[in-house]
Amino acid sequence: MNDQPLRIRMTYAKLGNLRFIGHLDLQRLFERALRRTNLPLRYTQGFNPHLRLNLASALPLGFIGEAEQMDFWLDQEVSLEEISNRLCKSLPAELILKNLQVIDNQQPSLQASLLSSEYEVLLPADLDPQILQEQIGALLTQATVPVQRRKKTVDMKNLILDWQLVKQAPQSLLKISMKSTPAENGRPDELLELLGLDPADCQVTRTKLIFCEE
Amino acid sequence: MQTININLLEKILYHVEKPGRYVGGEHNQILKDWDSIRTHVCLVFPDIYDIGQPNLGLAILYDILNQQPDILAERAFAPWHDLETQLRQHEIPLFSLESKHPIAQFDLIGFSLPYESLYTNALNVLDLAGIPLLSSERGAEHPLVIAGGQACYNPEPMADFIDAFVIGEGEEVIVEVVRATEKLKQAGADRKTLLQELSRIPGVYVPSLYSVSYAQNGTISDFLPLNSSVPAFVTKRIVAKLPPHPTRLIVPNIETVHDRLSIEIMRGCTRGCRFCHAGIVNRPVRERPVSEILQIIEDGLAATGYEEIGLLSLSSSDHTQILELTKSVYEKFQNRKILVSLPSLRIASFSVKLMDELRDLRPGGGFTLAPEAASPRMQAIINKPLDNAVFEETVRTVFEHGWLTLKLYYMIGLPGETMEDVQAILDAGKRVLAIGRQIRGNRVRVHLSVGNFIPKPHTPFQWYPLNTTDELQAKLDLLKTGVHRTGLKLSYNIPGTTLLEAWLSRGDRRLGQVIHRAWQLGAKFDAWGENDNLPFWRQAFSEIGLDPDFYAYRERALDEILPWDHIHTGVSKAFLRRDLEWSKLGKTRKDCREQCYACGILDSFGADRPISPLVYWGCP
Repeated sequence: MNDQPLRIRMTYAKLGNLRFIGHLDLQRLFERALRRTNLPLRYTQGFNPHLRLNLASALPLGFIGEAEQMDFWLDQEVSLEEISNRLCKSLPAELILKNLQVIDNQQPSLQASLLSSEYEVLLPADLDPQILQEQIGALLTQATVPVQRRKKTVDMKNLILDWQLVKQAPQSLLKISMKSTPAENGRPDELLELLGLDPADCQVTRTKLIFCEE
Repeated sequence: MQTININLLEKILYHVEKPGRYVGGEHNQILKDWDSIRTHVCLVFPDIYDIGQPNLGLAILYDILNQQPDILAERAFAPWHDLETQLRQHEIPLFSLESKHPIAQFDLIGFSLPYESLYTNALNVLDLAGIPLLSSERGAEHPLVIAGGQACYNPEPMADFIDAFVIGEGEEVIVEVVRATEKLKQAGADRKTLLQELSRIPGVYVPSLYSVSYAQNGTISDFLPLNSSVPAFVTKRIVAKLPPHPTRLIVPNIETVHDRLSIEIMRGCTRGCRFCHAGIVNRPVRERPVSEILQIIEDGLAATGYEEIGLLSLSSSDHTQILELTKSVYEKFQNRKILVSLPSLRIASFSVKLMDELRDLRPGGGFTLAPEAASPRMQAIINKPLDNAVFEETVRTVFEHGWLTLKLYYMIGLPGETMEDVQAILDAGKRVLAIGRQIRGNRVRVHLSVGNFIPKPHTPFQWYPLNTTDELQAKLDLLKTGVHRTGLKLSYNIPGTTLLEAWLSRGDRRLGQVIHRAWQLGAKFDAWGENDNLPFWRQAFSEIGLDPDFYAYRERALDEILPWDHIHTGVSKAFLRRDLEWSKLGKTRKDCREQCYACGILDSFGADRPISPLVYWGCP
């Protein structure tokens, strides 16, 4: 086995019906899609080897992802063009390959270097953006904005890095940047609930993942 | 024309568990252009996606229909309670996964009914689709509703709801039914003419074209076709040679049962176990050659990316080339990071050898054997003789070859069974555990999995009554007490669920009213043991005025007209009677590849038997 496997970083979009597929199911879907490519995939060692892949961050059910990222490894050199050709044939129609790049094996994992995520929330057409603007402003003037998550409480105020309301017709857009580290992970749907909105009425898209620079 | 409000549906999907069940979009799904296709077929498996999608029968029909350029086949499943509530609340009709068309807009709806506990779900699906439940209330504006699958060998309980049943293997006849339907629809034929014409296709049974009369004692006194052009009985269809196996199987996006590449290596079984419905109705035995199976695996893996394959049949070790198959599978696929499961193995050291051939490709977990009965007397009654020395040798080999867990399948409630026969199951379990511990020490686990016998139509035991719930409970109590402090693990079925299955599998067409009423009262997902629907069923029987015990607990006379007598499996009733007689005498039969017992299959289908020596039939 090659001791220096080729580490490939793939950027992809997750759209349409695949919004309704959860993180673990997506992982299995990728494993099978990669197996169909017949590329020289790297497996883990041991009694029960499985495909080595690493997704940057779980995308909540129902969200569109425009630029999600994942690493996988190959045992042999293959050109990015060849990988791209084979992946395009084997990915389901609603998983779209956006970019491929070779990554140094020494670089930390995607999860370890992920800092934050940018989201765009398409708001309901009947919502008055001015009122929402004031609502969010008022919320963030509070000292803390506690949100109950199973057994622990998190502070929404601490998770929001930046926000902007784009008032437009017919549906306004809430742009929001939130922390995405293992310790502190912001969820835009929790903010929508705080604002009295049903996340099912708003289409949330994760537009970008922000990683720390080496 | 009603369409689905996709925006509303998507909003609803945020509020249900596992929305991935309802959206389709899987790899290898076939989405054709609705408007440019003439005939639309919706294949419905009336259980949730997680259970129905892996069904190989459904995949075969989906493949065959979609191969026809002018036919489109899509899928639908029963929604789970959460989505059903939302669909009803928002008045969204049930839809297909591929194009999200309401299933009422298809030309044909084909139900897959492999087991009886799906009947109420099938009614629920029709209701959610806005289609009248009763065949008699449907007209030209409604889809034709057909059904097939192993439960349909007794179609009578569902006769009120299904327009036409396909009896037997659907691969060829499904296309004939679709073609006949589109031709007649184009000619503007009314529903009555359509059904009359469909009844002329061999293997198609149209229940509304028969009249049934009943004697004073409730048994059937006459079962007659309504006119002379309707056949008096319907013989199942078979394919003389197993057709090409589908390989571009849909790969589910969410986790399902049997989440693997399933490949049918053989159809039918020559062992002749007298309790076994599948063993009779799937005759004759037909095999796929090793070279073909290897190619299916190769193509299937390339098309799906699955990491596990299942080589399926009723009795895998009986495939004439099984050793060669396991050896070649290992040679060819050892470096492909796959697991290969080979279920349904006979009790013989040879079976352990087969699994050994697969070496590191075999999945983890236990080894499974199915003696079904433990005492030599019961084994002779059911025609599954098992030499104790062979059994113990097999068990020893299993443990010696590395397995730590052994699962043993048994049945209780078999004809003529005594408490001593049930005790014999415990004794066998204890002996197996002792052998295991002697070889591998205390880490060994032995699991007794005990099912309740139901006398199934078309088997030599079809005339026997079901054990009463009290009888079954007493036997289960003996087992439960018996395993206490032995280290044996016991799993079993609830007698109430068995009773429901017995009513539905042994009923006549009057049961349709009971099914209808039980569904109205709230019965659905009857296969799911957790929600006990039995009170709904008892109330339905009582309201309709039928006696449930008549169907379950009555020994039927040998000359009685049975509700399923007009459905012919190719195995003659005379043979079944003779086999019943042999059972009562404790006489066993050999594997019928060694000796033909003239069951009738060759009389019915011998003329279709391929001459080529490359096409294997199990009959001598």
